[in-house]
Amino acid sequence: MSTTTITAAVSDAIDELRETFPDATVTVESDGDGGAWVLIDPVPLGPAYIQSTSWIAFQITFPYPEADVYPLFVRPDLDRKDGAGHGEGFGSVTWGPHEQTGTQLSRRSNRLDPTVDTAATKVLKVLRWLAQQ
Amino acid sequence: MARTAVTVPWSVVMTGEQWVTLRAHLFPGDRDEHGAVLRCGIARSPRGTRLLVRDVVVAEDGVDYIPGDRGYRKLTAGFVAENIDVCAEQGLAYLAIHNHGGTTDVDFSDTDMASHERGYPALLDINAGVPVGALVFAANAVAGDIWSGTGVRHRIAHLRVAGRPQRTLTPQPVAAALADPSYDRQTRIFGDRGQQILARSRVAVVGLGGIGSLIVEYLARLGVGELILIDPDRLDPTNLPRVVGSRRLDAMGWLRRESAPRWMRKLGERLATPKVKIAARVAHQASATTRVTSIPRSVVDADVAALLTDCDHIFLAADSALARRLVNSITHQYLVPHTQVGSKVTVVDGALADIFSVSRMSSPGSGCLQCNGLIPASRLTEEATSETQRRRQRYVNDDDVHAPSVISLNAVAAARAVDDWLMTVGALVDEDVPHDHWVSYFPRTDEVVEHAPKKRPGCLHCGPGRFATGDNLPLLAKPV
Repeated sequence: MSTTTITAAVSDAIDELRETFPDATVTVESDGDGGAWVLIDPVPLGPAYIQSTSWIAFQITFPYPEADVYPLFVRPDLDRKDGAGHGEGFGSVTWGPHEQTGTQLSRRSNRLDPTVDTAATKVLKVLRWLAQQ
Repeated sequence: MARTAVTVPWSVVMTGEQWVTLRAHLFPGDRDEHGAVLRCGIARSPRGTRLLVRDVVVAEDGVDYIPGDRGYRKLTAGFVAENIDVCAEQGLAYLAIHNHGGTTDVDFSDTDMASHERGYPALLDINAGVPVGALVFAANAVAGDIWSGTGVRHRIAHLRVAGRPQRTLTPQPVAAALADPSYDRQTRIFGDRGQQILARSRVAVVGLGGIGSLIVEYLARLGVGELILIDPDRLDPTNLPRVVGSRRLDAMGWLRRESAPRWMRKLGERLATPKVKIAARVAHQASATTRVTSIPRSVVDADVAALLTDCDHIFLAADSALARRLVNSITHQYLVPHTQVGSKVTVVDGALADIFSVSRMSSPGSGCLQCNGLIPASRLTEEATSETQRRRQRYVNDDDVHAPSVISLNAVAAARAVDDWLMTVGALVDEDVPHDHWVSYFPRTDEVVEHAPKKRPGCLHCGPGRFATGDNLPLLAKPV
C-alpha cells in the first residue's frame, strides 16, 4: 500500500465534494502519486436513462487544480429508455485501482480555470450534461 | 546584542518590476532620503539564505516616513506595525529600507545601527523569530543588516535584480578576477566581470534531447560554472541526428534493429546511454572547469525538483506539461528565471501544416506559462495518470510514433534561448527591454513573432498565493 500523502489541493477538493453531495457516500483511495480515486454514490442520472441513479468515479491527479478531472465513470449497465446508443463521449471500459467495469464519460474542460473550476464543479457539469442527453 | 555571522552568505532577490518601483521611490532626483519596507519569503540552501521580495511597500514622505527623533528620518510606528503584522501573519521576513547619497559604496551610519539595536529585538519577537532587518541603498549599491531568530546578525553579500537586464548590487564595488585567456574573444564583449558572472552561475537544463543537448554545449563553451542536467531518458537511435555529442554506440542500435528478437531490443534499450551522461560528456569536453551534476530522473520527483530552487536560471527543454508546471511555479515561488524552449513540426494527414521554434524567457512575477494557457490541463491529467490506466481509457499514444524534428530548427531555438540569457546576465540588453522575451520563428514564412505574455490576477503560479513564498510552500512536484 502506498504511503504517499494526498496533496493539500486534492484533499480540499475531496472536502468540497463531501459538502456538495451531502446525501451521498464519498469513498476515497490514494492513487499512490499524491492524487486520489474518488467514488460518489449515489448521484442522479437524467430522464433519458432507465436507471435513475448511479455511482460516479474519477481520479483527481496530483497536479490538481491545474489538471483537469477526467474521464469520469458511471455504472456499466447504463441504458437509454429509447434503446438508442450512447453516442460520442461514452465508452465501456475498466477503470481504477480495482479494475471495475464502467461507462466512461470523456468530458475534457478545454477552458479550465484552476482559480475557479473545482472537482465538484466538474462533477456537477458532467451530471448536467448527462441529464441533457 | 546579537552575534555577527560571517560564514553563511545572505542575499536579497527582487524582480525587475519591483526594482523599477523601489528605485523610482528612493531616487526620484531630489537627493533626499526616502523609506520603504520589503516583505520577503525565505529560501535556504547550502549556497546561502535568500530573502525573496514579495511586496515592496513604499513609505509616503511626510506620512509614513517622517523626521526622526535621533536620526534624519524614520518610518512611523504605525507603518512599521502594519507591515510587521503582515509579515508575522504570513511568515515573511521584514526589511526596512532607506537610501543614502553616493553611487557605488554604501553602509549604515552609527545612528542607523543604534536604531536597529533598539528596535529589532522586539520586531524579531513579534515576527516569531523570522528574520527582520534593514537595507540601505546608494544608487548602485546596497548594504544589509539582517537579524535572524538564532540570535545572529548577517550582512548581505548582494542584492540580485532577477529581471532584464539582471543586476547585482553589493555594498562596495567587487573587483572581477582576470578571465582565462582562452575566453579572450568573448570577454572582449562582456569583460572579465561578465566572464566571472558566467563562472559563478549555476544553471539547470531540464530535458537533454535535441534542444537541451545544444544548450548544454553552448553553456559549457561560454564557461558557465555549474550545470545541473536532468532527464530520465536514454538515447534512442532516432535521437542520433539531433543529440549533440551522441555516438552510434550510445544508442545500442545494433541490439535494437527491427529484426532483432524482442529480448535483445529490450536489452539494447536498457544498455543505451542516459542522455544526461552524453550531455555531461559534451560539457566536460567543452570546458575543463564546468562542474556537472547529472540526474537521470524525472524533474517532477520532489527531491530532484528541489535542486532547481537554488539555480540562477533554468532552461526547460522537456516537452512535458508536468515539467512546465513545476518549472513555471518555481520561477515565481523562488524568483528563479527560466527559458522554455522548443520546436514543433505539425503534420496533418501526411502534409506539413506548421513549423516553428520558440524561446520564452520569463522573469519572476511576469512571464507565466500558466497565465498564457501553455500548461494544458488535459495533458497534466494524462501525464499524471498511470500508463495502465491510460491504456484502459484509450488515451495512450503509440510510443513508436515519433514527432517530426530536425537539428537546425532546434538550433535556432537553443541559440536564441542562450543568447537572450547571456545578454541578460551580462547586462548587455537595453534598460528598457521588456521583463520577458517570448519569440517564435516560423521558417516557412520567414516570420519572427514576438509575444507579450498576459498576466491573470489570482494565478496559482505567479499570483499572491505562491509568488516569492520560497520555502513557505511545498513545490508543485510529485509528492514522495
